[in-house]
Amino acid sequence: MRELTSGALLDALRGVHWPARRMSGGTIQGGHRSRRVGASPEFMEYRPYQQGDDPGRIDWKLFGRTERVAVRLSHDDSSLRTMVLVDASASMGFPAETFAKWNCAAAIALGLAAVAHGDNDPVGIAIAAATPRLLPPRTRRGTVSDVLRALLDTTPAGSSPLAPLLAAARTSRRVALISDFLGDAEALHTVAREMLAGGTEVFAVHVIATEELEPGDAARVVIDPENPALRRPLGAAEVAAYRDSFGRWRRTLADAWRGAGAIFHEVTTADAPDRIVRRVTGSSGPPLRGS
Amino acid sequence: MSFLFPGFLAAAAGIAAAATLLHFIVTREPDLYRLPTARFAPDRAIQARAQALEPSDLLLLALRVALVLAVGAALARPIVSPPRRALMRIVLVDRSRGVASAREAADSARSVLGERDLLIVFDSAATIITAGAADSLGQLSRAERPGRLSTALVSALRTASRLRNQADSIELVVVSPLPGEAIDAATDSLRALWPAGIRLIRTAARSDSGAAPVTFQGDPDDPLRLAIPTAGARSGAGTTRLVRQLATAADSLWAADPGRVLVVWPATREVPAGWTPRPADTVGAVAAGTAVVVAPFVRTLSLRGGATAEAISPPRLVLARWVDGEPAAIEDPIGAGCIRTVTIDVPAAGDLVLEARFARFVAALTGPCGGPMDSAPLDEAARARLAGTFETSRAAAAGFPAPDQMPSPWARWLLLGAVLLAGAEQLVRRRIAR
Repeated sequence: MRELTSGALLDALRGVHWPARRMSGGTIQGGHRSRRVGASPEFMEYRPYQQGDDPGRIDWKLFGRTERVAVRLSHDDSSLRTMVLVDASASMGFPAETFAKWNCAAAIALGLAAVAHGDNDPVGIAIAAATPRLLPPRTRRGTVSDVLRALLDTTPAGSSPLAPLLAAARTSRRVALISDFLGDAEALHTVAREMLAGGTEVFAVHVIATEELEPGDAARVVIDPENPALRRPLGAAEVAAYRDSFGRWRRTLADAWRGAGAIFHEVTTADAPDRIVRRVTGSSGPPLRGS
Repeated sequence: MSFLFPGFLAAAAGIAAAATLLHFIVTREPDLYRLPTARFAPDRAIQARAQALEPSDLLLLALRVALVLAVGAALARPIVSPPRRALMRIVLVDRSRGVASAREAADSARSVLGERDLLIVFDSAATIITAGAADSLGQLSRAERPGRLSTALVSALRTASRLRNQADSIELVVVSPLPGEAIDAATDSLRALWPAGIRLIRTAARSDSGAAPVTFQGDPDDPLRLAIPTAGARSGAGTTRLVRQLATAADSLWAADPGRVLVVWPATREVPAGWTPRPADTVGAVAAGTAVVVAPFVRTLSLRGGATAEAISPPRLVLARWVDGEPAAIEDPIGAGCIRTVTIDVPAAGDLVLEARFARFVAALTGPCGGPMDSAPLDEAARARLAGTFETSRAAAAGFPAPDQMPSPWARWLLLGAVLLAGAEQLVRRRIAR
């Protein structure tokens, strides 16, 4: 959490932008190219006049030269309503000594929110904790501080589902989902697919602790923090099977999200949060695991 | 140091060895670890067992081993014996009423008593002097109780059993005038248990009979007064006092002095302490020793508790019994003297009190404490039987049976140490668990 409060992360992300991956349909003036036909002087193309078009947009000079009735189309800039959704279930509070997963997820969430806010996009955050928190997207000054405060006030616990919060963010045109996907992964994927079909940009960031990748071969019984009834031995004899099973699941998960059209990144707690944010936003930087 | 029951120590050593072995083979539940991706571990039964070739905790192991060994050693009852000697003496010193001079007896005992020899002084009971024998002999005084050699022999035999590991041979020395009353029916049998000769050192016997003038305190017309030949004085320096009412505190105080006899023989039907009223009946006779009186006595009191009280209150002595065996007169020791309680109604009519048999009966009741005294020395044959026909007076110590119980002062300290070790073990175990 020191990284969040020190300001080093925000300093490292200064100048980073998070452009829209496709034309935005937004109507609020912003920094993203909109699909909407606007009145900006930047010419895009001519289109034959159709019933219902504003006659005022007919290019009469063109009509004079070619006797074709066409309307002049130009690009318009709009803002992108962005919602950052962070998983704060008990599984994110791992390892129990450092909460490295949660710290990593919180840093990514803050970084994305700060970048979006820097692009004048309305940005909000939804935290799926034992008591879910929701800050609706806003552009006003102090939004990033509100996001930071919400993250600092949260301690990962319980097993609150993410899918309802994602469904509630349907009005946003861009959603960044930061989770370990160990909870309601199926329901989450279904909602995300619907949103993707509706034109929402969905960014999925899969956070993995290095201890989850390499749990070591010391004999012990592992317990699922969200399901204490799940107890299994994990020692030298089991660790290979564990790695194999975990790896298969990660590949399946990434394929499923990418196949649905989401931008999926797998990150670990060993990765620097600013590098992760740069990769997610499409800024330059070395490739991340699973990108 | 030796152990009375070494088997316990061997068992404790075995348990300690097993505990040590178990410490080296530690089986425990594997550590629990919260892992969010636990579901990807193969679903197998939890049978993890960690085997440690090193002791998991040396302090805990040491405490447990010490605890087991302490309990085992305590149950084994260790005894620390002083260095073994070639000869030990057990000196029996008679201080009963039959002794003419306690000082002479003490001097005689000193002449044979070595530094680590054992002293036993006896009258009707025997006292083993474990420490300060010289001081005890310096303060030896005559007790107005009959001597009982049987009691002294029993003590000597027990002591010899206890000393069997401390000496090669044991010699028994008896310092006594050896009066006839010191011998009873058990003496010969007990003597036979001593496997060697007994060295006898005779001291001077008391020359008087112990009988003293009786001071009578009661009605001058009391018929009982006529049966007391030496009576007449209402007060005086006599050592026997017969009172015809219940004893007062002053009477009891008087009776506590050495050689004094207080005879409480109530003239009225008052109930003395320790007695209880009973329906009056007539019994035909009463006997005190060899003195028997046959007369229609009316019996109104019984000894509280009957035969049980008689049995459980040693050294209470029944001096006279009714013809059916019930006590009629008892003697209780008080200080160095004694108090007698007589519950025989003296007939007010008739000439019974003038008869010689009644006078003998009263004389038996007013005699010295402990009953009639037989101070005549044993004859030659009896003394020879007592000394025995053995060639030596040194008995092989190993010939005495081992004692059933042997004091082991170390045992209690070992048990206390075991309790402390158990507490420490708990503390260490909790600390490790945390």
